[in-house]
Amino acid sequence: MPAFSQQIVILLFFLGSLSIYTQNKFTLSGTVSEQETGEILIGVNVLIPSLQTGAITNEYGFYSITLPEGDYQVFFSSMGYASQRIDISLTQNIEKNISLTMDMEQIDEVLIKADIEKLNIRKPQMSVNTLTINTIKQIPAVLGEVDVLKAITMLPGVTSAGEGASGFNVRGGAADQNLILLDEATLYNSSHLFGFFSVFNPDAIKDITLYKGGIPARYGGRISSVLDIYQKDGNKKQLKAKGGIGIVASRLLLEGPIKKDTASFLVGGRSSYAHLFLPLFDNDNVAFFYDLNAKVSYNLDKKNRLFLSGYFGRDVFSIADSFENSFGNTTLNLRWNHLFSEKLFSNLSLIFSDYVYGLELSIVDFDFDSGIRNLNLKYDFTHFISEKLDLRYGINSIYYKFNPGDIRPTSETSGINPFKLIDKFAFENAAYIDAEAQIAENLFIQAGLRLSTFNRLGQDELNVYANDNPILFNEALQIYQKAKPIDTLSFNRSETIKSFANLEPRFAVSYQLNETSSIKASYNRTAQYIHLISNTTSPTPFDIYAPSGKYIDPQLADQVALGYFKNFENYSLEVETFYKKVKNRLDYVDDADLIANNAVEQILLSGEARAYGLEVLFRKREGRLKGWIAYTLSKSQQRTPGRNPSEIGINNGQWYNAPWDKTHDISITGQYSFSEKWSFGANFIYQTGQPTTFPIGQYIFNDIVVPIYEARNRSRLTAFHHLDLSATWTPQPNSKKRWKSEWVFSIYNAYNRKNAASISFRENTDINRNEAVRLSIFGVIPAITYNFKF
Amino acid sequence: MKRIVYFWALIFIALSCEDAIDVDLNDSEPKLVIEATVTALVDGSSNATVRLTTTAPFFDTQIPFVDSASVLISSSDGQSYPFTYTDEGLYVNTDLNPSFGISYTLQVIYQGETYTATTTLISAVPLEFVEQRNDGGISGEDIELKAFFTDPAGVENYYFFEGLSTKGNVFDAYDDRFFDGNPIFGFYLIEDIEPGDTVLFNLHGVDEQFFNFMITLLQQSTDLSDGPFETQPATVRGNIINTTNSDNFPLGYFRISELFSLEYIVQ
Repeated sequence: MPAFSQQIVILLFFLGSLSIYTQNKFTLSGTVSEQETGEILIGVNVLIPSLQTGAITNEYGFYSITLPEGDYQVFFSSMGYASQRIDISLTQNIEKNISLTMDMEQIDEVLIKADIEKLNIRKPQMSVNTLTINTIKQIPAVLGEVDVLKAITMLPGVTSAGEGASGFNVRGGAADQNLILLDEATLYNSSHLFGFFSVFNPDAIKDITLYKGGIPARYGGRISSVLDIYQKDGNKKQLKAKGGIGIVASRLLLEGPIKKDTASFLVGGRSSYAHLFLPLFDNDNVAFFYDLNAKVSYNLDKKNRLFLSGYFGRDVFSIADSFENSFGNTTLNLRWNHLFSEKLFSNLSLIFSDYVYGLELSIVDFDFDSGIRNLNLKYDFTHFISEKLDLRYGINSIYYKFNPGDIRPTSETSGINPFKLIDKFAFENAAYIDAEAQIAENLFIQAGLRLSTFNRLGQDELNVYANDNPILFNEALQIYQKAKPIDTLSFNRSETIKSFANLEPRFAVSYQLNETSSIKASYNRTAQYIHLISNTTSPTPFDIYAPSGKYIDPQLADQVALGYFKNFENYSLEVETFYKKVKNRLDYVDDADLIANNAVEQILLSGEARAYGLEVLFRKREGRLKGWIAYTLSKSQQRTPGRNPSEIGINNGQWYNAPWDKTHDISITGQYSFSEKWSFGANFIYQTGQPTTFPIGQYIFNDIVVPIYEARNRSRLTAFHHLDLSATWTPQPNSKKRWKSEWVFSIYNAYNRKNAASISFRENTDINRNEAVRLSIFGVIPAITYNFKF
Repeated sequence: MKRIVYFWALIFIALSCEDAIDVDLNDSEPKLVIEATVTALVDGSSNATVRLTTTAPFFDTQIPFVDSASVLISSSDGQSYPFTYTDEGLYVNTDLNPSFGISYTLQVIYQGETYTATTTLISAVPLEFVEQRNDGGISGEDIELKAFFTDPAGVENYYFFEGLSTKGNVFDAYDDRFFDGNPIFGFYLIEDIEPGDTVLFNLHGVDEQFFNFMITLLQQSTDLSDGPFETQPATVRGNIINTTNSDNFPLGYFRISELFSLEYIVQ
């Protein structure tokens, strides 16, 4: 019988055997929150040392553990908080809500710490990193702006295509293969200002988790990673404000109770103003961004909670009077947590998301707008069946509308005709089930299955080609050419043009070797139905998403990973190796013009990608000196052979390095608490140079110097490295006043390394010679930020 | 239009720095480059030139000429036009006067291999007038020139535009899918332009294949192909094939264009 139904049979067998156990069992459950603010806490460890077992609070602070009848000591522990112990007599189901107080110098009993670490190494989940906002805030960043995305690139297996690149790359995957969730809503663009800043306001963030592999079945739609970010709910006890003023941007956040201990709100805004300095460079142009985060949380009663969150962000650029460009995400979501019983937790989310891109070119008198809009319904259940088995299941449904572009003349005398690229519609659905179970004393598994489907819905004017072939190969000239459509068909919105279905098994296992170490292995298959149409080194805001359909197949990835995890006194070591294969990765013919292209199927071919590597993470989480050393050795490549032996494909059908392939990637970060008033931070990053294509000759055509090129990405730019330093000064650490503040002094690229963002080869018309010109973006940049709260 | 749209990349460049560096490059075997251009003007005169050169190592300052080839154009109405070498790789024929509806085949024989291409005369439209603006460009202080023409409606048209002056040249290629049937302009912006300078505007009619060829060429040769916005470069193929040895393909293009010119003196 097929492999995955064998897995289901094994799973059902264990479920059955576990429920035969006849001793009386009861459930201890509840919510853990922060004493000072009422903020629910994610990832709190709940330990029962006498049984050598435990649980962890979920994304909504809820925990549930079923134990045999008896008396227990239960410990609640989380980094940065004082642990709490409760004594319970479990003779019936008990609900216990806990409030933990903040304690930066937390001193845990050695016993507890060892048990927490054991809990983590037993969990089958591997290839995951969680960063708290406190850790992220201590990583020095460019221009003094704390950046969530820059922090994750410090982790092993995560890189970016370059300093000016937006997006990030996980285990050799492309930037559009990352699922970025903010309070469960999908974001389509994670950066502002060419990738220099992320869209996440650090004051509004609670917690981030990055899954690089072993992706649990409840996530789908992107094949390389999941970046799951949760915002704070808002202080339920007191009205508070927090903010910062920096040289490039400033932010302010206001949070407080609407009804004490029951309902709270949070509103935060951030804006940059660096463009106001541009006149110093003889430049009257404008480049800025702004963000707005808002949230309302309401505890209806013991079993029900409601959240309404929203995000609005925009980037704006304009050049003199000729050009104005603005783009960004808007999301709005409504979530309802409902406890069906002490063992069954559910979350229902309804999400609206809108990504728009607008361009106004007054030089030529027209407007261009494009975007992607979607409506998403998710219903997720966590079923805490017993202390040896947790089940998660749910459904996810997304309705998409893609607007590839709308061109409108802005004046009567404009030479441009109105043109609307055809809207596309799609419906993506998924259902999943995932079981995390303890099979034997030292063996834990997580077995999941996700069934995803994608229906490309009816639209106007779908191109029809002879032999369903939108792209032709001219054998004499050895180039690909567009096929002319022979007809266009229009469909009703409710009809389906093409549908796809994929079964995505997700499997992980962990074997505990001893008290402090374990080995883990995982396999996951993931499917992606929407594709970023982009042939640049890294995504630009012009790039649009296209849905799979008649001429584009979904991307499918298979990833296997194997890892070794060890905890020492104060340190942890994680070593992982992975191999990933991707089918149906899109690639573009050599002179592809993607801008406002109504028929992208005429310029793309389907290829494949592969990536493999070794990741090492050595981390110190406690003590005055904290930080980590991350090293990744990896390779990421792509290949697009011709569709049949007589075609050359792209790059002659040979494997070529992906634009983000970095053989060696070393990231070292450290934070040192020197005293109550001072703490210091430093980063050092070293990466192999980015792949690039060098010319191997030149010729002249029509008085233009034209390079001829080697095979794609055969060469590399120089190595990329920089050292960043920061110092945080808290002038009055013990002040009893309401207004608290700190100064952060930082230097990015302390030794002023001229890292090449690109090398371009061109004619220098002043001296009539060709030259290689290196573009470097950031030299040494000092910055000061003033952070406050009251 | 695509190049205008990359203007915003220039803000990004304002914040960064550029410097020339030494890079070691591999050099390929020399390849033949055929620049075969026949232009027909509305007054009945025409120009037929074929410039033959080869590729050179990237940092060389000289491009080698080819003077030992034989060049011939034959037409579908049975005529034959041999080309004579003048100098600097240039072969000329003074009799060829192209007509619409006739197909012309180029044949170049060099080092025992034969290279051919076939094309027809593509029409263009007159350049009507030039509009000057003195507050253009990114700095808001440059002289901007727009050379206007009116595109014929209902027909797929492609154009190659040149703005030539001693202070600098501008090249661009347009396809009419966004401005079909409308008056539109070729855009000229060179910082050093001053009142009194002469700019010669040329508008050539070309086909879709030449348009794709030229757009890619321009992208690879300009300084707007920088940083993360660059597309993957690849050696661009034209419409000429090597019938003796198909792997040894030539670079360059053979086109026949109707040409309209307009000379303008900057105010």
